[in-house]
Amino acid sequence: MTTKTSDNASEVMVELRDVSKHYGSVIAVRETSVNILKGEFLTLLGPSGSGKTTLLNVIAGMLSPTTGEVFIEGRNVTSVPAHKRGLGMVFQNYALMPHMTVYENIAFPLQIRKMRKKDIEQRVSEVLELVRLPNLADRKPRELSGGQQQRVSIARCIVYNPSLILMDEPLGALDKKLREQMQLEIKRIHVESGITVMYVTHDQEEALNMSDRVMLLNEGNVEQLGTPNELYVNPVSEFAADFIGQSTLLDAEIVEGGETSVVGLGSLGKCRVVIQDPRVGARGKLLLRPEALHIVPRGETPEGHNALHGRVVDSLVTGGTVKHFVTLENGDDVAVQELTNITMTSFSAAEMVQIIWPIEAGLFLDR
Amino acid sequence: MEQRASPWRIAVNASAVAILIFLILPSLIIIPISFGNANEIVFPPEGFSLILFRRFFNEPGWVESAWLSFRVALWATAIAVCLGVPAAYALARGRFPGKRVIALFLLSPIMIPHVVIALALFVYFFQIHLSDGMLRLICAHVVATLPFVIVTSHAGIRNIDPVLEQAATVMGAPRVLVLRRVTIPLLYPSIISGALFAFLISFDEIVISWFISKAGYTPLPVKMFSSIKWEVSPVLASISTMLTILSVVIAVIVVLILRKQSDREGAGRS
Repeated sequence: MTTKTSDNASEVMVELRDVSKHYGSVIAVRETSVNILKGEFLTLLGPSGSGKTTLLNVIAGMLSPTTGEVFIEGRNVTSVPAHKRGLGMVFQNYALMPHMTVYENIAFPLQIRKMRKKDIEQRVSEVLELVRLPNLADRKPRELSGGQQQRVSIARCIVYNPSLILMDEPLGALDKKLREQMQLEIKRIHVESGITVMYVTHDQEEALNMSDRVMLLNEGNVEQLGTPNELYVNPVSEFAADFIGQSTLLDAEIVEGGETSVVGLGSLGKCRVVIQDPRVGARGKLLLRPEALHIVPRGETPEGHNALHGRVVDSLVTGGTVKHFVTLENGDDVAVQELTNITMTSFSAAEMVQIIWPIEAGLFLDR
Repeated sequence: MEQRASPWRIAVNASAVAILIFLILPSLIIIPISFGNANEIVFPPEGFSLILFRRFFNEPGWVESAWLSFRVALWATAIAVCLGVPAAYALARGRFPGKRVIALFLLSPIMIPHVVIALALFVYFFQIHLSDGMLRLICAHVVATLPFVIVTSHAGIRNIDPVLEQAATVMGAPRVLVLRRVTIPLLYPSIISGALFAFLISFDEIVISWFISKAGYTPLPVKMFSSIKWEVSPVLASISTMLTILSVVIAVIVVLILRKQSDREGAGRS
């Protein structure tokens, strides 16, 4: 962790230093230190109650942290009131002023900044263009659809050029199709404007789609911070592995260290896993992602692979991929995803098969 | 809407109408009487004239009392709104110890009999040597009307999403600007209807006024009541008619305001 802001103040947008938030004896956020870079799209991801909205509100100035300090562009804003932090914020239920028209809503932050009327007009129409709502300026928010309202609220936010925008589950109230469309819109606006975005969601797919980096939170702790790829390929814990992507987690214990360690899977037998600094006897979970697995008829295990025996329960063809559900000998279920392929062998239900994966595709998690 | 009339439904509707008539008839009977020309109150009226209304405006005292009541109601309403709306805001949004007790205290004039308040104010005004007739009425009426302003604006504030105020704050608006541009405009309907109720209650108030009013400061209801003790003047009918019309107009305005507000909110929740 950095101790001086001046070192990298030019690239750091937000720095949290040992920030925590307690409500009485309840800890909403534990001591957290993190840097958010300029121009970055950082997502706070976690189940409800994980502290992601609390953290966002601490940065916005709606809550003051119990401990620690908040820096925005190198300035300590811990005791600066919300209205002087110069941020933008987008809310889940849009928070548009019902008594103002679309135009008035977007002009409002500019009026607060005492901009000239003529400049306001020009700026508002520019922004309406950017969010692709040029013809709705005179409508009241209630006359718009949910998606349109959210665009207005984004327009109201970017109109005064904040260098940081906080988004609190902005797409949570929209249906799935509109949500995907708005994800692209927000991403486009982020790229075009270069604004730093901190985005809160509990939807892992949304987080992986949109973010430069994802901060995974669990019960007030930062579980993992990394690129979407890092989070998927190298989850640091069982929670991270389970929360992001589909996964099979099998009870495992390190039996023998080495270049490739041997891991015992209870009654399922043993397999080989690449583990950094293996401690013999350590217990944990073996993570297997569906797309790393293959189903083959029983027989020889190919070189460099591990194998487990099981029985096919069901197979689902979902367009480009097929999903097989296999029950292992100890009753655990495993999902296997393979590309749909004409030459692919099909398996009938209840057929005994073996599941194989390359040694380097398994991941041992000890927490 | 066509709906099949079951005997049960007919009975319910009929009794509702009967109760409505029972409640409204005494007020309605006054109206034709006020257009009669008799020297005493008779029903049905003989003929039609505006003589009783003319007497109201010509006989000494009536217009002065009405004007006094009007001014008192205006002042009491203004003060009750200035005190009640901020109090309601604190009760709706604030987090502080003793909130419930304070709320109960502020609403207590609704629950305590007016006679008790009247006597208490009588004694209290005597002790603090408050002898200005107008000021006594205004202060007393603030006590009586404040709870109604608090109740209506509290409900209004509870209807405003705090996120709206938060959004305005984050986009740079200081507290005063948030109140001026967001909270108060959204609260207007509640403030106006609370104020209209307060005005009506004050204009109509008799028990407290009777106790604390001084010679030369007789509000209209007190004057009406004292006049009925000496002679049943038919002028009272014309005053009652005018008061009824005032009440109806105010009630209709309140209903229209509240309906407009609920329309807006109903449509806002998509």
